[in-house]
Amino acid sequence: MIRHLPFLLALWKANLISAMEYRVSFLTQMVGMMLNNAFYFVFWIIFFDRFEQVQGWNLLDMFFLFGVVATGFGAGTYLFGNALRLSSLIAEGQLDYYLSLPRPVLLHALASRSNASSAGDFTYGLLSFAAAAVYSDSFSGLMLLRFLLASLAAVAVLISFLVLVQSLTFWIGNAPMLTQNAFNAIITFSLYPITLFDGTAKLLLFTLVPAAFIGALPAEFVRQFDLGQLAQICGGSAIFLSLAVFVFHRGLRRYESGNAIQVRT
Amino acid sequence: MSSRAARTRSAATGWRRASIKASAGKYWAVFRTQLVNSLAYPMDLLGRSLLIVLFMWIFMNLWRVTYGSTGARSIAGLTLADTMWYLMMAEAVMLSKRELSDTITEQVKDGSVAYLLNKPFNFILYHFAAGLGDTILAFAGNLAIGSAVVWLMAGPPPGLAGWLLAAVAVVFAWLLDFCFSALIGLSAFVVEETNAFRWIYQKLLLVLGGLLIPLDFFPAWLQTVAFNLPFAWIIYGPARLFVDPSLTRLGAVLTQQAIWLAVFGCAVWLIYRWAVARLAVNGG
Repeated sequence: MIRHLPFLLALWKANLISAMEYRVSFLTQMVGMMLNNAFYFVFWIIFFDRFEQVQGWNLLDMFFLFGVVATGFGAGTYLFGNALRLSSLIAEGQLDYYLSLPRPVLLHALASRSNASSAGDFTYGLLSFAAAAVYSDSFSGLMLLRFLLASLAAVAVLISFLVLVQSLTFWIGNAPMLTQNAFNAIITFSLYPITLFDGTAKLLLFTLVPAAFIGALPAEFVRQFDLGQLAQICGGSAIFLSLAVFVFHRGLRRYESGNAIQVRT
Repeated sequence: MSSRAARTRSAATGWRRASIKASAGKYWAVFRTQLVNSLAYPMDLLGRSLLIVLFMWIFMNLWRVTYGSTGARSIAGLTLADTMWYLMMAEAVMLSKRELSDTITEQVKDGSVAYLLNKPFNFILYHFAAGLGDTILAFAGNLAIGSAVVWLMAGPPPGLAGWLLAAVAVVFAWLLDFCFSALIGLSAFVVEETNAFRWIYQKLLLVLGGLLIPLDFFPAWLQTVAFNLPFAWIIYGPARLFVDPSLTRLGAVLTQQAIWLAVFGCAVWLIYRWAVARLAVNGG
């Protein structure tokens, strides 16, 4: 991964330059997404104003949760924008271009596109974390380190999950509804307190729809250091990342070319 | 002379009636075509309805815990079952809406609006008829699946009156929502990128519309704000009518919907005329 970093940086730079060609559109989407998230958070402000806490979670926990989820989601879908449309790339035979170049196919395909609105999610996440840190009066350098680690883990699990689900396209063909439902499920579950869910549901949130690794678990870790949680976060990220790479490459053997090999300048 | 004038007036009235009938027929045909088109993809329809299961399950967990922690049987006059049925109707309305603003925006951006404008129908009414054809089926699917899930988790649904009165309010809610969608879509004539407006509108429905939480749970000052905005009458109005049906409430909901429809209907009409007048089509 480290040896591909210069290549990734070059791709991200190209994406940024491309986005800056339409900077009004970029800024509109970015600010729009920040407002969108802020309006959504108003629900939790109203909710906790009335009910104070739910199973031990309060408004401060929600600030931390939104901080980690929005930062992870924003960074992940900005840097690896094609993770949201991998299914159609596979189904329409558009992986040809990436297959014809001497670079890792999955990494290249994922990082070849950036979403402008994701920059808004990322910024909102940082602001939410800053608000949480100030509101809790517990900010420290170590907390910032935990936040960075937690956000990285959230990026890894989210992108891995999206790759895993969309790699099914190699076997079952294009399934936009499945992708859409899986995407909605992981985002929705990750933005609710995990204490709402009982044993079986919780197990699902750590395995089939790993929303707990994107939201509740890293958010709790940011608030307070816990070695067990650190191990779960690192272990979960490594497992989902390995699984995603393995399943994608197994599926790639079944890939049908779209005769779309071309040179881009 | 007077009988001649009467004949002329009668002929004019007859012509107008025939014209309205022919016009309505066109949009009825568009609506029917979209309905049949949607029916051709039952798996797609089912897939669209699965999301309501996820939301209802999360809401059930959230509100069961919340009601449990307060120890009260009802909050602001709503029991847990009432809240769940309210949320089911609110989600059914929201999830069934077709993203017309997205369609209109794409047509403005890629220029295909030019091909639709020279057709013998009104661009706005065409989209409304097509959208309604899609929305009605999606609504039926969401209602069936959502009701089954909520019935299993929270108990039986409200009586027949709730279903009937809510149905009337839902139709007007769609009309009002269509006005907002059309305004967002038409803004593409000016700004091209309309995603931000759409996201913010959706979130206004989520919070001030009462999609995530019944407005009755809001503090008094915020309830006043929400009830004086149109968003509540797209989601909260029909959903609250569903769990607490009465002719008085129906009258209040329809009055608010009519007022906002008049305001935003006029706005759509004026902005549409203005946008078409400034449209420049190059080539073809």
